[in-house]
Amino acid sequence: MMKDDRFVIPPALARIVSRLPQTPPAAVLAFALDRLLFPRLPLPELDALLEQPLRIEVSDLGLRLALTLTRRGFRPLPAHVAPRLTLRATTRDFLALLRREEDADTLFFQRRLALSGDTELGLLVKNTLDAIEIELPFLPRPR
Amino acid sequence: MNPLSFELVLAPIPYFWPRGRVLSFYEAIAEAPVDAVVLGETVCARRAELRLPDWIALGRDLAAAGKRVVLAGYALIESESHLKWVRRLVEQDEFAVEANEMGTVRLLAAAGRRDWIAGASLNVYNPHALAQLHEAGARRWLPPPELSRAALAHLLEGFTALEQGTIETELPVWGPLALAHSARCFTARHYRLQKDACEFRCLAHPAGLPLATREGADFLVLNGVQVLSARPWSLIDRLDEATALAQALRLVPAPEGTLERIAALDRARRLGEMPAPEPESCNGFWYGESGFAYRAPSSSPLAAR
Amino acid sequence: MMNSSRVRRPELVCPAGNPAMLKAAVEHGADAVYLGFKDATNARNFNGLNFDERSLAQAIELAHAHGCRVFLALNTYPQAEGWAHWTAAVDRAAALGVDALILADLGLLAHARERHPELRIHLSVQGSATNHEALAFYHERYGIERAVLPRVLSLEQVAQVVRQSPVAVEVFGFGGLCVMVEGRCALSAYATGQSPNCHGACSPAKFVRWDETPQGLEARLNGFLIDRYAPEEPAGYPTLCKGRFAVGGHTYYAIEEPTSLNTLELLPRLIEIGVAAIKIEGRQRSAAYVAQVTRVWREAIDAALAAPQDFSPHPQWLAALDRVSEGASHTLGAYSRPWK
Repeated sequence: MMKDDRFVIPPALARIVSRLPQTPPAAVLAFALDRLLFPRLPLPELDALLEQPLRIEVSDLGLRLALTLTRRGFRPLPAHVAPRLTLRATTRDFLALLRREEDADTLFFQRRLALSGDTELGLLVKNTLDAIEIELPFLPRPR
Repeated sequence: MNPLSFELVLAPIPYFWPRGRVLSFYEAIAEAPVDAVVLGETVCARRAELRLPDWIALGRDLAAAGKRVVLAGYALIESESHLKWVRRLVEQDEFAVEANEMGTVRLLAAAGRRDWIAGASLNVYNPHALAQLHEAGARRWLPPPELSRAALAHLLEGFTALEQGTIETELPVWGPLALAHSARCFTARHYRLQKDACEFRCLAHPAGLPLATREGADFLVLNGVQVLSARPWSLIDRLDEATALAQALRLVPAPEGTLERIAALDRARRLGEMPAPEPESCNGFWYGESGFAYRAPSSSPLAAR
Repeated sequence: MMNSSRVRRPELVCPAGNPAMLKAAVEHGADAVYLGFKDATNARNFNGLNFDERSLAQAIELAHAHGCRVFLALNTYPQAEGWAHWTAAVDRAAALGVDALILADLGLLAHARERHPELRIHLSVQGSATNHEALAFYHERYGIERAVLPRVLSLEQVAQVVRQSPVAVEVFGFGGLCVMVEGRCALSAYATGQSPNCHGACSPAKFVRWDETPQGLEARLNGFLIDRYAPEEPAGYPTLCKGRFAVGGHTYYAIEEPTSLNTLELLPRLIEIGVAAIKIEGRQRSAAYVAQVTRVWREAIDAALAAPQDFSPHPQWLAALDRVSEGASHTLGAYSRPWK
């Protein structure tokens, strides 16, 4: 069922990027999460997370992506918004987490995943992601 | 304030004191206005400045001085040799026993004793659990440290509603909180010694080893295999609340200040003279909050004066 | 050589914090899983974790289809006010057909025995029972069929308990390590007001703050500085027992280092002394963790049963387990007492 998304993304990304020229990476992420993640999120359990400014930092790419979860999906935020929760890791480790090849606590103990801000939100994000079945066929497999 | 009615109980010494210090401490206690004294080593089975016959002999002296005497058992039984000691404790019937773990409870119940005290580490949090120990022969119980005033009141109402008879409640009102118990020894660890070759370093620390955060905040006390709170627990400025729920109030011996507090509690019950608040203590658990917190009394007797 | 007909095959009991972990445990060879409801009735009450009635029913179905048993942990201590909620949880679990309840509270034990006499009961590690007299107490009064021992006994002490115990004994084999007698620790409550005993969580996340500072990564629990980590230095859970504190002029791990329990090398001996089950800690971890740990332990137990005298832990097993460990190192804990 993911197969179609793989081929739809590039033109859709282009559309979003053109609409939000100041925050393209965050918009791309929000778009991807809307497609992949949002339909599977247990929204009734995520009240604490709604409308909270989140920041995802992909350290090796130098990306700092600000976004938030709303009842209708993920939305990019301007980069200057102060985050309630920041998650930082390398591309490779983020992908390994999403693929369930790595355990978040393992990465955390090894200082490969950094979490700052509201720890309870962090735990909710972690446990929610771990509880839902997602498959990511289009993501490159880290070597 | 009106004079209060309660039995005043002295808990076992949590620290490892040299024999001489223990004996002279209890000589002073024999003269002090406490009603009951709980004797024995509860923390670490390696601590043997006094052995069971010594505690029994001391108990006789205190009984002769008019004190009711209770012998307390270990909080943690690790081996058959510890169990042997507990069996001897249960077999003597001169004094009541305070049980601090469930093997001791079983031995007391099996011996048909109905005079024992269920210690705070037995984890009684609700009336149904209390009813189970009452049925097994407990005559008195102590709530776990983190049980709040509201939860204790609720528990006691619930117990009454079960119509299973009566049980006495004993409540600590002063002394360090016993927060955690382990098989490993934190004092030996501090000295980089093995537990079995600990050289009895606890003897050099009559008030335990203070532990502070890296920012210098006093926090905990390492007492061998036990962790205590750095601040003493105190309901000394809440005696009306404590006596509304408990028939007996307990003090935990400390190297300093025990006799003074015994005297203050005694004045409270004879003369209705309320002790001054102790803002350096903690009472957060009483309000269902963080244990280290201290809440000043809303109507301090000093303020009222 | 051990007589194989007399060897008791220990059950591998794995954590399931959510359906994905349960699936991972079942797929990788768990004999049983343990799990809890989404509330304070169990000792891993974390946001986003655990099961509701529907997911538990599905979990039981999936597990049973693969010959895996399901144990439900109801191992916190209810207070008077919450009593009806906890007994309802016991009744719900019984109705859903769990294979055993893991209980600690005396009141709940009595309730379960009286209302559900057919239901198997295990005594939780939170019950703090460390000797055979204590186990006999729970067995005689509440009919427990198994007890989980606190992680404070040495291997010889465990053997002594197993020899005289009226019930089967389950021990922790791997995972996070409580150094305190379980069920007897109010350190979290002292700092935060919330405890494993009453709220089902040690050092709850809402009291934890991680801050990057010029001195390093700081972990605070309700304001108390638990530890400060240099860059690259392995971090641990922000529990009081694994922090660095100042005692007598030295700053060190005054209670315990961040490390995990790993008893893999003791496996033949655990089998020989007759433990009925080996438990893996970690319902708060993830499917990745459960898969990795279950796979290793399944292989190891099978290898130890097939040829106990030749058993030695494969380096790749140990490496796999060390990778997921807190502090990325392991210890034999109390089983072998380096600190004794």
